[in-house]
Parts: sequence; structure tokens; C-alpha cells
Amino acid sequence: MISLLNKIINEIGLSLLFLKEILNTLFKTPCKSHLIYEQIWNVTMESFATTALAGFFVGAIMTVQFTLQMNEFGALGYLGGLATSGTIREVGPLLIAFMLSGKVGAFTSAELGTMRVTEQIDAIRCLGANPIQEIILPRFLGIIISAFFLLGIGLLMSILGGMFLGSLFAGVNPEEYVRHIPTILALPSIFSGLVKCFCFAVVLATICTYKGYTTTGGAKGVGRSVVSTAVTTMICIVVFDWLTSYIADIVIRTIQESA
Amino acid sequence: MIEYKNLVKKFGERTILKGLSLKVNPGEILFILGTSGTGKSVLLKNTVGLLKPDQGEVWVDGEEISGFNENQLQSVRKKCGMVFQHPALFDSLTVFNNIAFGLRKHFSLNEQEISEKVKKALNLVNLAGIEDLFPAQISYGMQKRVSLARAVALDPKILLFDEPTTGLDPVTTSAVNQLIRNLSKKLETTSMVVSHDMNSAMTVADRIVVLDQGNIIALGTPEEMKKSTVPLVKEFLFEAQT
Repeated sequence: MISLLNKIINEIGLSLLFLKEILNTLFKTPCKSHLIYEQIWNVTMESFATTALAGFFVGAIMTVQFTLQMNEFGALGYLGGLATSGTIREVGPLLIAFMLSGKVGAFTSAELGTMRVTEQIDAIRCLGANPIQEIILPRFLGIIISAFFLLGIGLLMSILGGMFLGSLFAGVNPEEYVRHIPTILALPSIFSGLVKCFCFAVVLATICTYKGYTTTGGAKGVGRSVVSTAVTTMICIVVFDWLTSYIADIVIRTIQESA
Repeated sequence: MIEYKNLVKKFGERTILKGLSLKVNPGEILFILGTSGTGKSVLLKNTVGLLKPDQGEVWVDGEEISGFNENQLQSVRKKCGMVFQHPALFDSLTVFNNIAFGLRKHFSLNEQEISEKVKKALNLVNLAGIEDLFPAQISYGMQKRVSLARAVALDPKILLFDEPTTGLDPVTTSAVNQLIRNLSKKLETTSMVVSHDMNSAMTVADRIVVLDQGNIIALGTPEEMKKSTVPLVKEFLFEAQT
């Protein structure tokens, strides 16, 4: 038990040191913008369809769930606002994080792991380049920036899904569904969603690049890295979800009290 | 040119190199033989700072590099061309850009000069005309030769080969061995070749060093090796003859 705890603390420490190295490289060396754009494009396009589909059904699920509750209070007009607020505050960022973790996280980890075990990373160093600047930083920034694009896509599709199901299931017409979104969707909800999206993306980008970069042990090692990336990111995202919700709650209450 | 003094390298509890001392003379081709896990590749990686020794000194071209940071190591790596056990070509880049990669990083050359150097390097390994292909479009043997071209394109003083013929058929092995010999002599480089293959060593090497359990057990010219009474060397020679 103690050795497992030691291992976990050691891994957290090493991941943080790796993140520090990425940030040092980001602020001290020029960014290769074409490599970053390429990664943003790759990550966004790879996850576009699945995020859009999942977003549509999340909106639909939220609408069905809220319909059952709100019907009792005769407040079906607020269905769109409530479903959208819930999606942007909580479900949207979480959905994007899980989507990215499954597709991009595993892919990045496997790609970097393969580069490590086939000595491509050593070759980069031998040929006078910094692997962090050359291959890690573009992927790290690509994942974080893409997360916001995907959040936007997911959110739009969830509104569409909610509108469709709201009309079909609860008889709320699309115009009414959309009309109350600005009434309920407050600025703190949007801010909270964006902060969560950023935190999850940083966690995911750090873990998948770290696990891939430190792969050892040939093909088996690459497999281990991919599995470890999937498990670790899922756990960390859930932990960070709780942490950001807790902090956001304190911040919002403090603002409300001072106002 | 290259000298190791009392080199010790550990991985966790395992000590791979146990106080190894060796001097590589300028312009010679030194083959490093030994069974798996005896520290041959570790020795090579210590030469360019990809690994750092736990104790001892590594001298390259008059500089003690074991305490160098990544920035200081750039000047050392500029002098060394390394051919890895895997071809280690970048999948997303064409053959041209794979070879040009190091030239763009290490030197301030214009695209015309880079293009000339890439073509010259490909000619040296008899692979002219494949600049626009991706690594996945060429055979494993060709990938190994492109890897060699990438190393020699830098005009290095030192060439390091980590099992350059592993996984190749006998014909390609012989061609790669000839390339190593010809390139090293033509470019007047000091070359270190890690290998399991005594046949290659006997035909290409100026000197052969045999490692066992992190230490040198035999060192000499191919002729001296033939007369060696060290059991592992005799075993290598026997395997080479059969």
C-alpha cells in the first residue's frame, strides 16, 4: 500500500516537472506556429464528428430529464435555458474531456511512445533539436486550443438536440426553447464551463504527452502507456471536476455576498 | 579523439558499465562486440550525451562532456553522426526533410545548400532519387541507409553506429558494411560500430573491443582477435565461421 502511494506521488511529481519543462520551453523558445496549427486542425477534425454526435444526444438527454421535473411546476418554457446552463457548466466540458481522452489522449500517447521506443526522440536530440519544442509543445497547445473549439461545437449541437427533443417530447417549440437561454445562462456559468474546459484540457495534454514521452519497453511499453493514459486521465478529470466545482462554488458565493 | 575513463552507468540497481576505460584513436573504425545487455549501446549513447554516466569521464575531441547540459552538448552532437538501431526516421517527413532536419538545426544554410548536401548524402549511400518518398514507402534496408545518409550529411568527425546491420538480409548487410568502411575512410571519420556480428567486424574494423558484463575482456586488431584465448571471443569466432 505504501509503495503504491509512493509510486502515485512520484508520478504526480514527475508529471508536474514535465509540465514545468513544457511551460519553460513555451515561454523561453519561439513557438513553431505551423506545427501548432497542424495539431489544432488534426485534433479538432479527429474529434469533430464524435463530439457533435455526443453533444446532440447530451442536449437531448438533458431535455428529457428536465422535462420530467419541470412539467410538475409548469415551467417548461425555461427548459432550454436550464438544459443549456447545465451543459455548459458541467456536462459539456466533461464530455469534451472524455472524448479527447479516449481519442486524442490515447493516440498522442501511442504516437509519442512509438517515437520513443524507435529512438526517434533520441534522433531529434542528436540532430540538434529540443524534442519538447519540436514534438511535445505543438501537441500540448493543440489539445488545449482544440478543446475550446470542440466545446463550442458540442454546445451548439446540444442546443440543437435539446430543441429537437424538446419539441418532440415536451411540445416546446424551438423559438421558446432558445428564448429563455439568455435568462438562465448567467456569466458565472459560462466562466465556470470555460475554466473547467481549460483545466481538463491541461490535465489531459500533460498526462498523455508525459506518458508517451517516458515510454520504455518496446511495443508492450507503448501498450502500457496508452492504458495508463486512459485510466489516469479519467481519474484526474473526475477529481479536477470536483475541485473546480468546489472552487467555483466558493468564488460565486463570495461574489454574491459582496454584491 | 574519444576516451572513456572509469565509466560507470547504472539503471536502478543494475550496473551496466563497471568502470570501463577505453581510448578510440582518430580515424579508426572500432567495432564493439558483446552479448546483449553488456552496455554496448549505453557506451555509444554516453558519447553524445543521450545518457549521462554515474561516474567517470567521457572525452570527445578534447572536451570532457559528462557534465555538459543540453545546450553545451549541441556542439558535441554537431561533430557526431549517429545511426540508431532502428532507422529512427520521422514518419511525417519525406526522405529529403529527414536528412535536411539536422542540417537546418545545426547549420545556417540556405535551401539551395541544404538541397545539395541532401543529394550528396543520398548519392553516398547509393539512394539517389528517393528524396520525395516517405519512410513508409521504402524498404527497411533503404531506411537504414537513409538513416546513414542523415548522419553523414552533417559532415561529422565521428560516426556512431548502433547495430547498423541488425534485421537486414546477408546481401544488404554486406552492402551496409562496405558503406561503413568506405564512408569512414572517404570522410576520414572516427567510427564506432556496435554489433553482434563478428563477420562484419573482421572485414570492416581496424580494431575490435569485446565487452562482457560492463567491462572490456578483449581489445585488438582483427588479426589479434583470431589468436585470442578469451572464451567469449572464441565463441564469437566459432559462431562467425558456422
